[in-house]
Amino acid sequence: MFDAGVKLPVPAKAPRFRPATQESPAVRWLLIGIAVLGLAVLVVAPLAAVFTEALAKGWAAAVTSLTHKDARDAIRLTLLITAIAVPLNAVFGIAAAWFITKFDFRGKAFLITLIDLPFSVSPVVAGLCLVLLFGANTALGGWLVAQGYPIIFALPGIALATMFVTFPFVARELIPVMIEQGRVEEEAALTLGASGWRIFWTVTLPNIRWALLYGVLLCNARAMGEFGAVAVVSGKIRGQTATMPITIEMMYNEYLSVAAFSLAAVLTALALVTLLLKTALEIRHADALAATHRH
Amino acid sequence: MQIEIDEISKQFGMTAALHPVSLTIPSGALVALLGPSGSGKTTLLRILGGLEFPTSGRVLFDGQDATGLTVQERRAGFVFQSYALFRHMTVFENIAYGLKARPRATRPPKAEIARRVGKLLDLIQLPEIGARYPTQLSGGQRQRVALARALAIEPRMLLLDEPFGALDAKVRKELRQGLRDIHDETGLTTVFVTHDQDEAMELADLVVVMSGSSTGGRIEQIGKPADIRARPASAFVRDFISA
Amino acid sequence: MGRPLLQRSPMPGLGLSMGITLTMLSIVVLLPIGALLLRGASFGLGNMWEVVNRPRVWSALFLSFRLSLLAAVFNLVFGVLLAWVLVRYRFPGRRILDAAVDLPFALPTAVAGIALTALYAPNGAFGSLAREVGVKIAYTQWGILIALIFVGLPFVARTVQPVIEEIEREVEEASATLGASRFYTLRHVILPMLAPAALTGFALALARAVGEYGSVIFIAGNIPLLTEIAPLLIVIQLEEFNYDGAAAIGIAMLLISFAMLLAINLIQIWSRRRIGHV
Repeated sequence: MFDAGVKLPVPAKAPRFRPATQESPAVRWLLIGIAVLGLAVLVVAPLAAVFTEALAKGWAAAVTSLTHKDARDAIRLTLLITAIAVPLNAVFGIAAAWFITKFDFRGKAFLITLIDLPFSVSPVVAGLCLVLLFGANTALGGWLVAQGYPIIFALPGIALATMFVTFPFVARELIPVMIEQGRVEEEAALTLGASGWRIFWTVTLPNIRWALLYGVLLCNARAMGEFGAVAVVSGKIRGQTATMPITIEMMYNEYLSVAAFSLAAVLTALALVTLLLKTALEIRHADALAATHRH
Repeated sequence: MQIEIDEISKQFGMTAALHPVSLTIPSGALVALLGPSGSGKTTLLRILGGLEFPTSGRVLFDGQDATGLTVQERRAGFVFQSYALFRHMTVFENIAYGLKARPRATRPPKAEIARRVGKLLDLIQLPEIGARYPTQLSGGQRQRVALARALAIEPRMLLLDEPFGALDAKVRKELRQGLRDIHDETGLTTVFVTHDQDEAMELADLVVVMSGSSTGGRIEQIGKPADIRARPASAFVRDFISA
Repeated sequence: MGRPLLQRSPMPGLGLSMGITLTMLSIVVLLPIGALLLRGASFGLGNMWEVVNRPRVWSALFLSFRLSLLAAVFNLVFGVLLAWVLVRYRFPGRRILDAAVDLPFALPTAVAGIALTALYAPNGAFGSLAREVGVKIAYTQWGILIALIFVGLPFVARTVQPVIEEIEREVEEASATLGASRFYTLRHVILPMLAPAALTGFALALARAVGEYGSVIFIAGNIPLLTEIAPLLIVIQLEEFNYDGAAAIGIAMLLISFAMLLAINLIQIWSRRRIGHV
């Protein structure tokens, strides 16, 4: 009855045992096939199209089109807009997350809904809202133009439009992470006599830095590529208010295919870098990100 | 139904979970697999239920080789440690699940399913809770619903993994008696896993004491509770039951 | 309701964080949206209705909503499948596939728009294939549908993935021990558990598609009554300096967005009641 070590084990029959939590291999490979094929057609093909169209007339033509003044101006403007909108939204995100997670007040859920609002507003409607607030024919906009500070069809309008559409990214990433981490560490620092700023720099920020980076990354990608909202407020003045996506549209409509796709390829390359960094963050710092990104 | 375990071993990758073990469980017995964690008792139970496939050896039900039977074909009523109730279904739907999942030819009509679920709710002495969701139940109630759900498929045997593990001491005592009653009423061959020697000694007809080692879990002693107490077969058994 | 508006707290930074939050929220989001609503209010309900109640506007709103719904349904099915494959199966290239799901989020919409047009135009790689079987994709409603599928692709997959990860193995095993086939388990145990998250993703994809502009206008052809989407109408009104008209259509779209936001919240409340969590 007790184990008999000398006996040879009887080899079990049916070696192709399938655990109760698995589909048959045929079903498994069918589903994987559909997923791969679907993503290849829907996502990878357009990606490849950007580069093949950009290089349709060779590398030289693509590179030359990028050194054209319109392209250079567009790249400079987009970088400038991003450099304004992303840090401001990061500051907002940190402040909002601090306010929401460190204090208890009525209407918190409503505030979160308001912060999320830009995600459910069409970018074109966002641009329209800005035109109706700051346009030259409105009270506020007219006054600002008279003072020499036009908003619409100028850089501030583009920055505001970009901020509108990317507004929730950082806050949304930080809030769940800071809720999960709770207030204990800050409270401990407080009892040790640390000042508010000291607590933020030495306790909170190190805890949220990866989540912050993640949110900034998403915010940045969207800021560089925003089209609908910017199209409405930019006025599309070459060299002044034409961002990269707007310039792509203008070139495309003028049948400058190589130029349009070359500029698009630059944005695509930046999108790929963003994805790469994002995936690296998800793999290496999964436990420091909001739970929905851990996979 | 009589269950025979013939030289069953199990490896997970490089780790040995079960040294070849053999055991015969007589029909209608209430058997406890007793041991510390790492002694392979849950693995053995899962092999009986068809949730795990042995690396070597055979399982026989009433003398017939059942090793290759799928989980579904085994018809083993299995109660999980976490109970694994379906959260999005009411208690009624949970218990009726196994009957509804049958192919059309053998599926009982709706009225018959309702009658059987009603009978099972009476058996676990919770006739009023059919419309509730699992999240609205206490731990003890959940355990009894899981038991009723396992019984609904008219199982050939009943397998329970730490059925009282997640409950507090008072509820534990009550439910022990409940399991004994249900076993006596149904006459099902019943195997449960536990690390609590009181539970095993008090409840089971036959206790299988298991121990763990680097070469996998093994059986130290098989016997009636009184015999094990009176004549522990090894130092391990003596230490474990006096702990 | 006896709760004070703000609980006293020893935590520092209340004034600063509240100040920045409310000021920026107001300037960037609330005041502009307020300006839109104010413009609508001064224009008048009757006038707004007159603007919206024209065949061209109805057709555009209806087109946007109908194609967005179709795209979201496709993404609901494909997204659940994607999430399942990415969480449950191990195969070479899984990480790349996982990252590729996010590409529609990362790729600028205008870039997606011209890339899809290049692919599906009659002389493009896929467009020429379609032409051989007699189907025109770019500059038709098919083209719009493909663009909307593209922009909504990640939503369902990304909301469902964490839910699949949290399914206890024992629940699936319990189903099998009760005699259920694998298909029955998927249909009656797994899918109902995924339903709330999948519906949330569906609503998000729908909301995104209804307002989508950049990826659609290049491939749409923009023929009034046929392939003209609602956001484009706003742009057209603005180009004609018809701010009241633009505001009327903008408010109509805003209402649709809010209705969907409400739907998302209701789904979440409903699922929390039913299974005790989101």
